[in-house]
Amino acid sequence: MNARLRSAVVPAAWSGYGWAAALVGAATAATLLIAPYVAPANVIMVYLVSVLVVATRFGRGPSVLASVLSVAAFNFFFVPPHFTFAVADTQYLITFGVMFLVALVISDLAARIRAQAESAQRRERRTAALYAMSRDLGRARGVVDVFAASARHVADVFASDVTFLLPAADGALARPAGAMDGFDPDASDRNVARWVFEHRQPAGLGTTSARALYLPLVASRGVLGVLGVRPADVRAFDVPDQLHQLETFANQTALALERAQLADDAHEAELRAEAERLRSSLLSSVSHDLRTPLATITGAASLLLTEPHVDDDTRRELLESVRDEAERLNRLVQNLLEMTRLESGTLRLQRDWHSVEELVGAALRRLGKPLTGRRLDVTLAPDLPLVRMDDVLVEQVLTNLLDNALKYTPAGTPIRIVATASEGRITVEVADRGPGLRPGDEERVFEKFYRGAGTAQRGAGLGLAICKAIVEAHGGRLWAHGLPEGGVAFFFTLPMTEAPPIVAASTHA
Amino acid sequence: MPEPAIVVIEDEATIRRFLRVTLHAQSYRLFEATTGAEGLVEVATRQPDVVIVDLGLPDVDGLEVIRRIREWSPVPIIVLSARGGERDKVTALDAGADDYVEKPFGTDELLARVRVALRHAAGGTRDADAVFTVDGLTVDQARRVVSVDGHETHLTPIEYKLVTTLVHHAGKVLTHRQLLREVWGPTHVEDAHYLRVYMGQLRRKIERDPAQPRYLLTEPGVGYRLVDE
Repeated sequence: MNARLRSAVVPAAWSGYGWAAALVGAATAATLLIAPYVAPANVIMVYLVSVLVVATRFGRGPSVLASVLSVAAFNFFFVPPHFTFAVADTQYLITFGVMFLVALVISDLAARIRAQAESAQRRERRTAALYAMSRDLGRARGVVDVFAASARHVADVFASDVTFLLPAADGALARPAGAMDGFDPDASDRNVARWVFEHRQPAGLGTTSARALYLPLVASRGVLGVLGVRPADVRAFDVPDQLHQLETFANQTALALERAQLADDAHEAELRAEAERLRSSLLSSVSHDLRTPLATITGAASLLLTEPHVDDDTRRELLESVRDEAERLNRLVQNLLEMTRLESGTLRLQRDWHSVEELVGAALRRLGKPLTGRRLDVTLAPDLPLVRMDDVLVEQVLTNLLDNALKYTPAGTPIRIVATASEGRITVEVADRGPGLRPGDEERVFEKFYRGAGTAQRGAGLGLAICKAIVEAHGGRLWAHGLPEGGVAFFFTLPMTEAPPIVAASTHA
Repeated sequence: MPEPAIVVIEDEATIRRFLRVTLHAQSYRLFEATTGAEGLVEVATRQPDVVIVDLGLPDVDGLEVIRRIREWSPVPIIVLSARGGERDKVTALDAGADDYVEKPFGTDELLARVRVALRHAAGGTRDADAVFTVDGLTVDQARRVVSVDGHETHLTPIEYKLVTTLVHHAGKVLTHRQLLREVWGPTHVEDAHYLRVYMGQLRRKIERDPAQPRYLLTEPGVGYRLVDE
């Protein structure tokens, strides 16, 4: 902008003098035409108008020239003896003097107004540039964004190359990782930058042999780094205004940088806290879920051992609870192992052609006893094709979904299983008529260790997370949504990426 | 005829104790071994009717024990294995084991497997000319007739072969490879999709609800089992 301002000023000045001469000439021509009809005093007015025009449009220099030319032209054309600079009546010397004085005052006032307007404009442009940068800095998410936005604006406004230097872990100043374009300061420039960083004062261009100007990025927590600016025009920052504006830009950048760094730190802390929360929630849920059945088993077993006279019903009840709790422990351990395998990435799908019908059958058989007393509506499309999948894992998905439905719905409520094939995938639905999901739970139920409403329900909260991981490993999707008639439906898809192999049709015996 | 003898090869004392109580209650004679080497000696000297072997033994792989026994004895072998180890189960079955029980298991399941093993060891009642009947399903191999609840069902030759193969091994699990080899021949042991398609067709003909089969059970990752009691 600096270069642009200068280049705008210089030609305006030269053409301004030209315009000054031309306008005085035009005023002379006009007054020559009207001179026979007006008093000489009014002729002077016409010249003053031309001086005013020149002063407002072209500034002080041209208007002084216009003043001189006006007085000369008035003398030459209108003061007897005409067409000489000689003056017959010495009274005209007073006229000339006043006329010149008035012209000068006019040009001074007009030029001052013009300068004020120009400076106001400059201020406005500067404010606009600053505002544009703060807006972009405000939008920046993360440190890298801040650098990018600041570099873009500084480079644009000051016609410069821009670089940033931040203290690295070892204390040396280095360009930030993922640095955008911009220049890489050499060793001597880096020394200047180091001095700037330590003394919190701009230096470089003009004060040293450095090829760029370095400014400290100072925020409330101290010096965050150094901004390096290498302008195309080495004298660009000789104007105090420019330097001042650059400092403002540096301050804005520093504040935004600090904010971004704080946000990054906060985000990291949040992640750490989240990991910590997961860990402790795993520990508490696992220890709780392991201990509860163990307590029941230990209690029942020791009672049966020490109390020889329990009646048959009690005895049976105790033994049943031992068996049920042991089964629950088994499921929990199974889920924990499965989750560990899924998370460690050691799980490899053993895919082959399998039928959904068989896996539904296997899952229902595995759940066995708890399903009694439930109405099961199983509707499988008659033409379901075979799908390449890991049968053990998909059976696990079905088992977990059914187990989930059993756990979260009252005894006796129905469970529905539907499977359909369309648009290159098989969709399986497992729906119950229980209390349904709380709003917002559609997503959360798939989080690890999340347990739905009615947390009297036990389990590690891993079943659905495992289902999701397995389905996604198959390239499918698993989701839940509440049913308008009550209850919740879980859907999962299995993509049919290949056509099943042809099996020769068997002839009827 | 003396009571059937069973050799248990298992290193976990608590499981051995549980097996001892369970099997003694059925008046089986029990011989225990805690290592594979010991187990092989027991099998050689006791000439048991059934061997129960844990896949995770301290000295040798349970799989190795199965292979060594199979070198000289057709005695039925039941494998104890953990859930999730479907591959191990299939390997053990293809190596010559007759069946498996998944840990943790209940006594019902274990005893059912032992009974099936004993029946097959005795040559049993599943001869080619015998009539197999279970809960409404009848397979009359002499007349080549399959009926469900008294209604005759028409099967294709391959479906019929599938049914009779399962009947020969009724109650036992058959791996995919075993079924494919017996029904389609040794060149088709990898064509598991044949099995799925025909098993689906067969279920539609003999099961009341193919999605909740009563007779033809799927063991995911392992194979199929025809219920026999």
